[in-house]
Amino acid sequence: MTAVLARSDFLRAPLLATAKPDGFKEWYHFVVHRPGSRILINFSLTSEVSHAGSSRLTPRVIVIAHDQRWTGAIERFDESDLDVSAGLGVLTVGGNQMTVRPDGYRVVIDVPGQDIRGELDLTSVSRPFAVNNQPVGDGRVSWLFVPRLRADGWLRIGRQEMRFEGNVAYHDHNWGRFRWGDDFGWTWGTILPSGPEMPWSLVFQQMTDRRRLRCLYQALWVWRYDEPAAIFPPAAVQTRFRGMLGRAADCTLPPPMRLILDGEASDIPERMEVAATWAGDVLHAEFRPQSYARLAQPSEVRLDRSVVLCETNGTARVSGSINGEGIDFVGAGVFELLYG
Amino acid sequence: MAEQVSSLLRRSAGHLEDEVPDSYHLVLEALGPLVVEVDVDGELFSLRGGRRLEVADGAAAVAGARIATSRTAILDLLDARVGLDEAVQAGTVGVRGSVDDVLRAHDTLLAYVHAAVRAPSQPALLAALRTGAP
Repeated sequence: MTAVLARSDFLRAPLLATAKPDGFKEWYHFVVHRPGSRILINFSLTSEVSHAGSSRLTPRVIVIAHDQRWTGAIERFDESDLDVSAGLGVLTVGGNQMTVRPDGYRVVIDVPGQDIRGELDLTSVSRPFAVNNQPVGDGRVSWLFVPRLRADGWLRIGRQEMRFEGNVAYHDHNWGRFRWGDDFGWTWGTILPSGPEMPWSLVFQQMTDRRRLRCLYQALWVWRYDEPAAIFPPAAVQTRFRGMLGRAADCTLPPPMRLILDGEASDIPERMEVAATWAGDVLHAEFRPQSYARLAQPSEVRLDRSVVLCETNGTARVSGSINGEGIDFVGAGVFELLYG
Repeated sequence: MAEQVSSLLRRSAGHLEDEVPDSYHLVLEALGPLVVEVDVDGELFSLRGGRRLEVADGAAAVAGARIATSRTAILDLLDARVGLDEAVQAGTVGVRGSVDDVLRAHDTLLAYVHAAVRAPSQPALLAALRTGAP
């Protein structure tokens, strides 16, 4: 497993963005669950073209945490704050650093302007899986995910400090060329049991058009301990989103975007159901969002529009049978809904 | 001494013109012929369009929309501690003018935010605005 990680989860930007910068994006994403709270950490690189026509890689670090409510920051850095190691396994952005190790990842967070600091060791306990060249509007994105890791460390946002010791976590790494605001939307989710003793980990993805009326691709991946147990293809998966969550976003980031994304109405379903049946395996997952944060991204297609990523936390009940073994647990979920 | 809000706005508009010219032109388009007079903690200035965004010190001879607010209220909005509707209802942002002119001023604000979030220079200007807050 470790050799697979080391070979596959390296940074693509120095090769791909240099060869063809137009529209290139890459990000490393981590979700860490702890009973009653969770954190999201994201290191991203976006190729941007200046008015003069020169391209640059803009690094950003996103850290958001949910305890009673979502809070956090998006910090944009200058290209001069960016460093990628020769082995493509260490990404440094200012005082922040993400290292791909043989057995997982080490993440150091230091965003002094926002009073956010932390150190996390994320040790892979499941085999990674890669999905290549998925269409996103007129572009393509590839991604690699590790359904479950073990998290140890700490994170402090302002006066709030969270400590992690053997907690469960999820990771994905995405790269490709596409434009925010193009004709696509997505729903992506990770469901993990509350404790390490339960063997199941789930990852769900649904790609749609911008208006979320047409499903272009969907899949449900189920891992048992460190191995894939079932991969439900698009035709085997059915989704049903019911109602609307009756609460406003806990926070909007970057904060000035609240001037544009004003209002209290929610786009988040009250309940999301994913049902899958394939080759004798049956699975049903019901995710109930509790609250959400909005991460706004300027549209690259329209100068007067934004793309909004809603990060929701909630509980998920999972039941079914895989390879004849029954599944029944209540876990923690984080679902991301992208509205273009 | 803290930099005046009019000076920060002047610098901000200049950066938008250089860094995101297409978005800058959308701001000009939204503002059109409207002149907006702004009072921030007693500092009076006006914003007008045309070929370029112009920030002029002092009261405007003729203004279609008048906004009265404070540096603290502006930061509360930019830090998302309050929404614009809440600020107007609470009186921390006062707006006067005909409905058409107030709507035009609001459309200009939205266009300005869309431009500012695309321009790399703006976070430093926001930090400068913060240094003058009480």
